[in-house]
Amino acid sequence: MCEEEVLRLFPEKIRGKWKEVAGQAEKLQEIRLRAGKPLTILVDEKERFVDPGGRIVDRQEAAARQESAELEEILKHLCQYSIYAFADEIRQGFLTVQGGHRIGLAGQALLDGENRIVNLKYIRYLNIRIAHQVKGAADPLIPLLYERGRVVSTLLISPPGGGKTTMLRDIIRQISNGTAYGRGINVSVVDERSEIAGSFLGIAQNDVGTRTDVLDGCPKVEGMMRLIRAMSPQALAVDELGGIEDMQALRMANGCGCRLLATIHGSSLEEVLRKSYMRYAAEEGLFERYIVLDRTAGARGIEGVYDREGKPCLRR
Amino acid sequence: MFKAIGIICILIGCVGWGNRKIGQERERIRQLHTMRRILERIRAEIAYGKHTLPEICLMLTEINDIRYQKCFQRIYQAASVSGSGLPALWKAEFEAFLKDQPLQEEERELFVGLPDRLGFQEETGQAESIGRLEELLAQKAGYAEEGCENKTKMIRSVSILTGLLLTIWLL
Repeated sequence: MCEEEVLRLFPEKIRGKWKEVAGQAEKLQEIRLRAGKPLTILVDEKERFVDPGGRIVDRQEAAARQESAELEEILKHLCQYSIYAFADEIRQGFLTVQGGHRIGLAGQALLDGENRIVNLKYIRYLNIRIAHQVKGAADPLIPLLYERGRVVSTLLISPPGGGKTTMLRDIIRQISNGTAYGRGINVSVVDERSEIAGSFLGIAQNDVGTRTDVLDGCPKVEGMMRLIRAMSPQALAVDELGGIEDMQALRMANGCGCRLLATIHGSSLEEVLRKSYMRYAAEEGLFERYIVLDRTAGARGIEGVYDREGKPCLRR
Repeated sequence: MFKAIGIICILIGCVGWGNRKIGQERERIRQLHTMRRILERIRAEIAYGKHTLPEICLMLTEINDIRYQKCFQRIYQAASVSGSGLPALWKAEFEAFLKDQPLQEEERELFVGLPDRLGFQEETGQAESIGRLEELLAQKAGYAEEGCENKTKMIRSVSILTGLLLTIWLL
């Protein structure tokens, strides 16, 4: 992650204003742009602001206000002046740009007759989440992900922004390349939001390992079945499980002998297992490891590692 | 002897001028067809492939015209690699390139003005907008082709006649 990559998120004419922020690229987590509101950034877990001269300040009163027209220009630029190409993503409220950075969008929703969102207009809120590939992030976990030289199905749990995707990416990379605990295996990734591999023109921008196949921009359920049939993976990785359909697809993949690597939103194992669609996953022992992450925890944000019965294998 | 050589030179010069004019007109038609084919490809890539414009520019670097290839290469490099704004790049690149081409001002503006037709939120609308531009260029190429034969005959006659008149006048 370099300064240049952050600067490229903005149109050329306003890059000057973002130079100092881009200088913090390594620690930069979020850039929040809200029409008429102060320019806010999240650096190293700390909320800070950007003044009209582009300097990073701590006082909100000194911050520059985001103009609506400039916000629209930034959105067009992020969409590479091809908004039509991101219509589905805009409808879902986020888009992923080159480098795997995710842009959250909010504005006015347009609904159809069945109350489904068909589009977003007056997009006035952008949350640019800067993706960081942290090679070695999963090092402390790797010994726990193998049993008799075989990778075990693992579920990563954390609240939003807790580092699930970063951890998943590094686990994929390491088990794909092979580790001291087991040789490299074929991993297939359904990268629905292009966050894991950060594919651009079909090529993974992040290092996801030498034996990894990526199906980019495909819905999880369809993607998982397709990859099992087409790529015969030994492990299947997906990000952000979110419903009964995802679980059913995972069960099917598990039935095909695939190891599963997945993430889910949640702050604890108990909370996740209370979700209706997760209950039978636990009963069937779909996952052999549960890893709870929390940015405030030490040891690279690892709160605890649990086995299929919920017994701790590692606690902070 | 010198008079005869002079007459031949004048006639060759006038016919050459006429041929150059005819060549320019043919080049104009060729350019119009190339521009139309480029727009057709852009429209198809948007409608069927949902590719972004920088990606389409990369695909167009394989077009069968080295001059356009270079333009698209530069646009792709600047838009995708250094992240500059595509509309400004498109305008700057094609304004510079097309100003030396034998095209009418309106035809140049149609192609250079492509970025003014961007910003649609779904691919069908975006493709249709570019499709209208494509139709206009096809129409222009059609008219130019229809008139080309007559224009060629006229230019050829005028050039020969000019040569003869000059010869008679100088004699």
